[in-house]
Amino acid sequence: MSDKSVVKSGSNLERVLSSGHFAVTCECGPPKGADVELLEKKVALIKGCVDAANVTDNQTAVVRMSSIAASSILVKNGMEPVMQMVTRDRNRIAAQSDVFGASALGIRNMLCLTGDHQSFGNHPKSKNVFDLDSLQLLDVVRTIRDRGVVNSGDPVQGGIKMFLGAAANPFADPFEFRVIRLAKKIDAGADFIQTQCIYDMKRFRDFMKMACDMGLDKSCYILAGLTPLKSAGMAAYMNKNVSGITIPEEIIKRIKGAAKNEQAEEGIRLLLDQIQEVREIPGISGVHIMAIEWEDRVREITERAGLLPRPLL
Amino acid sequence: MIVADPKPFLQVKGYLEDFQKILVVGCGTCTTVCLSGGEAEVQILASGLRIAFGKDGRKKTILEECIQRQCDLEFVEPVLSRVESENIDAVVSLACGVGVNFLADRLGKTPIFPGLDTTFYGANVEQGLWAEMCAGCGSCIIAHTGGICPVARCSKHLLNGPCGGSEKGRCEVDPANIECVWQLIYDRLKRLGRLEDLRHLLPAKDWSTASDGGVRRSTREQLYDI
Amino acid sequence: MPMDKSSPGFLNTIAGDALPTCSAACPVHTDTREYVQRVSMGDYEGALDILLEVNPFPSVCGRICHHPCESHCRRAAIDEAVSLRMIKRFIVENTRQYRIARRKKAVQVSKDKSAAVIGGGPSGLTAAMDLALRGYKVKVYEKDSKLGGMLAHAIPRYRLPPEALAEDIEDILATGIEVHSGCTVGQDISFEQLKKDNDAVLIAVGLAESHSLPIPGTSGKGVFLGVTFLWDVANGLCPELGKRTLVIGGGNVAIDIARAAKRLGPEKVYMACLESRDEMPAWKWEIDEAEEEGIEILNSWGPKEILEKDGAVTGVRFRRCSSVFDAQHRFSPTYDDSETNTVAVDSVILGIGQKANLDFLAGSAVSVNGGRLICDRESMGTSEPGIFACGEVMTGPGSAIQAVSTGHDAAKVVSHYLETGKLLKLPNKKVLDIGELPAVTAANARHFDRVCVELSDPAERIKDFSPIEPVYTEEEALSESRRCLSCATGAHLQFPNHCAGCLTCVRICPFGVAQVRRTAFMPPQQCQTCGLCAAECPAFAIDTLRFPTSAMKTAVEDSVSALDPGRIARPFLISYCCVNGTTSRKYLGEQSAEEIMESGILRVLVPCVGRLSMADLISPFELGADKVAVVSCPEDGCYYPRVESWLDRRIKRTQKYLDQIGVGGENLQLFNMEGSGDESWPRIWEKFRAVNLETAVGNL
Ligand SMILES: Cc1cc2nc3c(=O)[nH]c(=O)nc-3n(C[C@H](O)[C@H](O)[C@H](O)COP(=O)(O)OP(=O)(O)OC[C@H]3O[C@@H](n4cnc5c(N)ncnc54)[C@H](O)[C@@H]3O)c2cc1C
Ligand code: SF4
Ligand code: SF4
Ligand code: SF4
Ligand code: SF4
Repeated sequence: MSDKSVVKSGSNLERVLSSGHFAVTCECGPPKGADVELLEKKVALIKGCVDAANVTDNQTAVVRMSSIAASSILVKNGMEPVMQMVTRDRNRIAAQSDVFGASALGIRNMLCLTGDHQSFGNHPKSKNVFDLDSLQLLDVVRTIRDRGVVNSGDPVQGGIKMFLGAAANPFADPFEFRVIRLAKKIDAGADFIQTQCIYDMKRFRDFMKMACDMGLDKSCYILAGLTPLKSAGMAAYMNKNVSGITIPEEIIKRIKGAAKNEQAEEGIRLLLDQIQEVREIPGISGVHIMAIEWEDRVREITERAGLLPRPLL
Repeated sequence: MIVADPKPFLQVKGYLEDFQKILVVGCGTCTTVCLSGGEAEVQILASGLRIAFGKDGRKKTILEECIQRQCDLEFVEPVLSRVESENIDAVVSLACGVGVNFLADRLGKTPIFPGLDTTFYGANVEQGLWAEMCAGCGSCIIAHTGGICPVARCSKHLLNGPCGGSEKGRCEVDPANIECVWQLIYDRLKRLGRLEDLRHLLPAKDWSTASDGGVRRSTREQLYDI
Repeated sequence: MPMDKSSPGFLNTIAGDALPTCSAACPVHTDTREYVQRVSMGDYEGALDILLEVNPFPSVCGRICHHPCESHCRRAAIDEAVSLRMIKRFIVENTRQYRIARRKKAVQVSKDKSAAVIGGGPSGLTAAMDLALRGYKVKVYEKDSKLGGMLAHAIPRYRLPPEALAEDIEDILATGIEVHSGCTVGQDISFEQLKKDNDAVLIAVGLAESHSLPIPGTSGKGVFLGVTFLWDVANGLCPELGKRTLVIGGGNVAIDIARAAKRLGPEKVYMACLESRDEMPAWKWEIDEAEEEGIEILNSWGPKEILEKDGAVTGVRFRRCSSVFDAQHRFSPTYDDSETNTVAVDSVILGIGQKANLDFLAGSAVSVNGGRLICDRESMGTSEPGIFACGEVMTGPGSAIQAVSTGHDAAKVVSHYLETGKLLKLPNKKVLDIGELPAVTAANARHFDRVCVELSDPAERIKDFSPIEPVYTEEEALSESRRCLSCATGAHLQFPNHCAGCLTCVRICPFGVAQVRRTAFMPPQQCQTCGLCAAECPAFAIDTLRFPTSAMKTAVEDSVSALDPGRIARPFLISYCCVNGTTSRKYLGEQSAEEIMESGILRVLVPCVGRLSMADLISPFELGADKVAVVSCPEDGCYYPRVESWLDRRIKRTQKYLDQIGVGGENLQLFNMEGSGDESWPRIWEKFRAVNLETAVGNL
């Protein structure tokens, strides 16, 4: 169980959260190659708008620049990364070794994930690893950080500083198990949680109510995940094809209701409404804005949501 | 039991291009039961090979045989001697990979080829349908999961609950065909009033007992000096 | 493909000694299932062989047998019994030439002992024939000018025409028995003489006389005794009946009398009997036919007096019969004298039962008690050594086939006596049958209407003695023969060691028959022989007794090996056809190699193509076929439930496989025939053969 009063890594994100500010994170996907410039351009777009940016790890099982390398580039460019790490591609040896490396490169936030199945990506014939699941990864990294030993029990040479995060999806099934799983993640070492994108506010409120009733918000910071819809088409696509995401009918209608060239703007307006809504939900400590391939609007969004300027702590 | 599927015919034929006298050997146990390597499939494959090579204008001798099990010495011995005495050039086995290996280890100079793709340990859940049930990991954990194995039946082998892709009881990897095993585990433990079992973190699993620990052996001390 | 004509009874093995109920019920245990199966495969001659094996009177039985086989047919649990008598009649009427050709030459007398048979009815003739076949000298003494007993001079011609009887008798006479007809023992030759001239004597005199009634008026003019009346009718001596005739009696004989009387022209014919309608001993169908012919039946009346005026009958007075049987079901009628009825008639015929005339035994050592011959049923011996009895004189009134059965037995005991001088005790004849068709199996079986023929119009048929029942057409006979379940000839575990206990058979069996306990077993009494299990068994551990596909494979190989590949018209088509589609023998016979080569078609007839395994579907290509057609019944017409969908899947899998092996899946096609096979098969063959070998088959 994480104790909020103990400093885990001293990262910017941790500081923002522990000082009681409403945190803002966003996503910053590495390029499908070694194009550093492209990555730096993205960084420039979001710099100053968020407290930290998630660097995805071969998201949807499509091969990209490694999240450690990309996170390190963010560090160099003055943008704090949340390095994502999936267990799909590395066993416990590789995972621990990468965590050492990340810490050494100045990476202070990490999100532990299982990862999308390789069948969704561009190498469906590859072999997966899944030596650990996301909870076990949290447990392993937390143990290195707090007890100074690797999974086998051997002591480490030089400890790590890492603010540990995990994902939660309140919308997947079985619903009643979702809070239990959140609790398990916190038990396993999660200091903060970023949720899957929320569209069904009602179900999310129910979820948060259950989480608060169990006191989970006391031992962990929960950031509500939000993804702006660029068009009615995107809404329909996500509803149909992304498992674990359902978009309520009235939202699809709302975007559809706008003229074609107005739909993106309507999507942003919806997002702003959602940000206001989640701010009011007890137990929510921030938002995680996943503006997929829309980094250029992050500034506008955070601006209009009244989230700027970000605190400098 | 072990489940195996017939290999594409042309693949098997391809293995045999260079051989003249070929013996197709079926297995009367698992692959008979899963309808891919019994007497019937031996005849079907042998017949197919004769026809296909005949069409290429190459007459080959294709012999047939089906034994009780290909993974026990006494049962395979007659095949070994037949191969020897009849100067057979190549053997195609319609057993699971175990049988192919077992024969290969004993066949001296005669090549052997698999006629099947061995897939998994599964159960015959419906007529004509088999599903994977166990991964043979060597340290069974299903006491904690209501007797249902997430190692074998979860696409990501997750041990601490469903991933975010579980929807309406189906697995995100192939919702049409795969059940989310974690939904099954959850439902079952709920029925058993044992949801508590899922509250505890299952730590990183010991994979050394699985094939990851090196080739495995199993002994019986009453019969074998350990 | 050649048909299997192996010996009768070869199928009995899986049910052990138990017979199908039809055969078990038949007094001579005709291998019913086998002759019906032979008919269904177009082998009418083979079917006749089976009939003649145990019954020298198949023509007679085809007409008038009361067919206990049918009454015990297991198909009745599904819909209705198989019409076995009609099939039998079809067989004899379609194999006349063959029957003459197969008739054996007279058997040489090889033994120095001789036997005399008194009475040329079915029992006496059967015994005589059997004894002659065993090499004894046999002499038959028959008081009538014609042989056949009651068959010749009692059963009316509209049911049994003399030609039918003659066919059977010719066969019997061909064995070389010596016949003295018109020779009454006791009058023309003494019983003592027979004993002196022979080593054994068999009394087979039947029950030749009618009982009279102990009531006033029976001797008047216009009162006839039933048997005498029928004898006269049979011999063309039309007895003179008045306008209104009444027959007393409620059994089959009485019905024959009434119906014969009706044909002689009276305006009104009545039948009166003690029994209520349900108790009448006559067969229900006989009663129905009589009523159709306008005969009025007066039930539950006991005759009290035949009324006369001036020596001529004027009517019959009856009293109510309140019950016929006592609590033990013995004949013991009681009457209610307060209720009476008088029927005005001018002729009365007594049909209340028959008795034997044993006058010729007077003075001999053969005991007779109350007009009945004393005879031990087990050894068939009378009180005098060397004197035996069979037929109705021994059993009492019965049926023709039962009389035949006792004739066979008599030949056994008599020849044993002739050889050893000792009596042979016949074993208790209780035969084991396979039991009724279990209800669960029956419930799963498909219904198929019994093929019924229409009797001549009652208004027409009462005009004369012409036969009233048409014979089955070939199409009808074939179709009815296919209703036979061929009981207990189904699937069995041919190779128990191969069975992996995979449960495929259990799951695929549409009748819930197959079971697995370590290995599979299919209770023979239940299996319906669809062959699905055998076709899908991954171990090929199952075979069916009736039409094993393993034997078919060899037969096809043999047929093909007789061909000259260079001379076969291409494309060479091997066509599996469901035998149930045939309406004639056109396609049921064997094909000559020449015919196959010229037409480019080899047909393989299968009782339901659902039993063809995937290997069966591929192997013809290995034998050199260019195309393989599987022709099943018309859509939804399959004899068995669910076979069509399984076959369809199997064919689709095979087509894919054929694609892979380079044969081209389109060269295997499943067809449903439209209408009969005889008409639709050639169309299917022609079209399928016409499709270019290399191109996909379109819509056929
Ligand atoms: C009207 C009627 C209808 C019938 N219908 C049927 C039917 O539909 N189906 C069926 O299965 N059965 C039927 N039966 C019964 C069947 O005909 C008899 O069961 C059968 O004929 C009995 O055969 P048998 O050989 O015992 O005697 P019989 O057929 O009676 O033959 C006895 C023979 O012995 C001869 N004989 C008698 N005394 C002497 C003597 N002293 N010297 C020389 N010869 C002598 C007689 O002339 C006769 O030919 C019917 C019988 C009758 C009377
Ligand atoms: S835990 Fe391993 S051994 Fe046990 S059932 Fe699952 S896969 Fe099989
Ligand atoms: S179905 Fe055929 S074999 Fe079975 S009892 Fe009837 S006639 Fe006999
Ligand atoms: S289908 Fe064959 S192998 Fe399977 S249980 Fe039946 S008889 Fe045995
Ligand atoms: S599947 Fe058909 S042949 Fe096999 S046991 Fe059942 S009824 Fe008999």
